[in-house]
Amino acid sequence: MSADASPNAQAPQPSLLAQNHFLLRRLHSLSGIVPIGVFLIFHLFTNFQMLVGNFQHEVEFIHNMPALIYIEILGLWLPIGFHAVLGIAYTLGSNPNSIQYPYMDNWRYTLQRVTGILAFLFIFVHGAKLRWGFTFGGYLDTPFYLHGPHGEPLATASTAIALQHAFPWVLVGYVVGVYACVYHWANGLWTAAISWGLTLSVAAQRRWGVFCVGLGLALAVFSAGAIYKAATYPVADQQREMIRLMEAGRTLPAAPHDKVLELPLPAEEAHEAAP
Amino acid sequence: MTAPANTKNIRFKIKRQDGPGKASYWQTFDVPYKPNLNVISCLQYIAEHPVTVAGEKSTPVVWDCNCLEEVCGACTMVINGKVRQSCSALLDELLKETPGGMVTLEPMTKFPVVRDLWVDRSRMFNALKTIQAWVPIDGTHDLGEGPKESAENQDVRYSLSRCMTCGCCLEACPQFLLGNQFIGAQAISQARYFNLHGTGKVLADQRLDAMMGPGGITDCGNAQNCVKVCPKEIPLTESIAAIGRQATVHAVKRFFNGPPRK
Ligand code: SF4
Ligand code: SF4
Ligand code: FES
Repeated sequence: MSADASPNAQAPQPSLLAQNHFLLRRLHSLSGIVPIGVFLIFHLFTNFQMLVGNFQHEVEFIHNMPALIYIEILGLWLPIGFHAVLGIAYTLGSNPNSIQYPYMDNWRYTLQRVTGILAFLFIFVHGAKLRWGFTFGGYLDTPFYLHGPHGEPLATASTAIALQHAFPWVLVGYVVGVYACVYHWANGLWTAAISWGLTLSVAAQRRWGVFCVGLGLALAVFSAGAIYKAATYPVADQQREMIRLMEAGRTLPAAPHDKVLELPLPAEEAHEAAP
Repeated sequence: MTAPANTKNIRFKIKRQDGPGKASYWQTFDVPYKPNLNVISCLQYIAEHPVTVAGEKSTPVVWDCNCLEEVCGACTMVINGKVRQSCSALLDELLKETPGGMVTLEPMTKFPVVRDLWVDRSRMFNALKTIQAWVPIDGTHDLGEGPKESAENQDVRYSLSRCMTCGCCLEACPQFLLGNQFIGAQAISQARYFNLHGTGKVLADQRLDAMMGPGGITDCGNAQNCVKVCPKEIPLTESIAAIGRQATVHAVKRFFNGPPRK
């Protein structure tokens, strides 16, 4: 607490960042809500299908979307990277004081920053592992395959293998990561309405808060259902073996696809099988 | 707990600093209890008897104050870890918070210390200049009557007008730091106040421009501590939302209309 830090910190030359300060901050807010937040809803809802619906079908649908790579890059990786870089920079410029001023809103504020960092780490590892195939030196050896070489459904099985791997650490990582994402998004949605000037009065902020809590709880329930299913799903030996062989890059023993798992798939899906 | 008996002393642990940039240190003083003391009357006692608990002769503790009735904001300091006015901090209340009977006094941490508990709050006054927190009526000709004021507007503006530039909202704000640029809830609320004024609103665009640069409205993190510590119960988070809305609209207009003609 020295007084030698100048009270009127020398304003830097207006850099490009400074000139677009407002725009960047608003884009930071928007990027969290629209591409990232909306994707989160779809993702968690899709996961929930493991428990109650046709997860395999949903996942195949997403992976067969046209121009998927552009959707991913423009709608996900760029916004997430942008949101994360700015978010971390903003967090470094703050001084959380929830211990000294332990108001509920102040804990909410601190938690928003903590969950932002946790969510970013989680999303990075999650995407790197399951989408880009990083192995992290074998520590996170959790392969992800949609289906076998003949279209055998593997979406739930490989999610289950991922979650049950190195029990309970991956599971704990998922729970922390997913709930960090859910909290960060629901709370961000609440504060964004203040920042943008949608909820002007305290009463309006409270009403919007009820909506955000409801949305957060719904996502929490979806996530709990999916995590429960993946953590308890009995992976068949054949599925495990198939994934192991695919992971090893070896070809599977030739077999009619409808015999492999006794889970026949329509021919048009089978021919789209991964190489 | 019940108030201590008349013979009892109240112990003050005070964070001191001999001047700007000097190292800070703690000293403890005892002040004999009397009913209805406030922190300032205790500081006056210490000024008369600047002897620490250890019996060392010290110097009077320096603090700032003026009105002694919580309307000027000058006497703001961190008392038992919470920022508030020392003139309205009553010992009978404080002792309930600290059953041990020790009261801790520190200068605010978000402003440079001048000496001991006295800080330099000029950053707040500079912020008021940045946002042109005034009604521009200077001129050579008679401007006539001011615009009519509605009762609703008057209500809101009255609540905002109570700000005494004390700094509590900034001291408790996790986004407002010594040495950063954030303008803080006080100036944001004053921008709303003057933008609501019938004549003051002619400067609204300039105020919003000033609010939208680095350190402006967007640097608020919505922790909402400001509104909880404001002794004047100013609806600061509503002001933040109101200026947020004005800034959003202003930015959209700027985008489609281009910058103002010089
Ligand atoms: S809402 Fe929080 S971050 Fe914003 S000005 Fe108030 S205390 Fe600071
Ligand atoms: S808004 Fe409230 S806390 Fe902030 S300076 Fe004004 S009176 Fe003090
Ligand atoms: S002396 Fe004016 S507010 Fe305390």
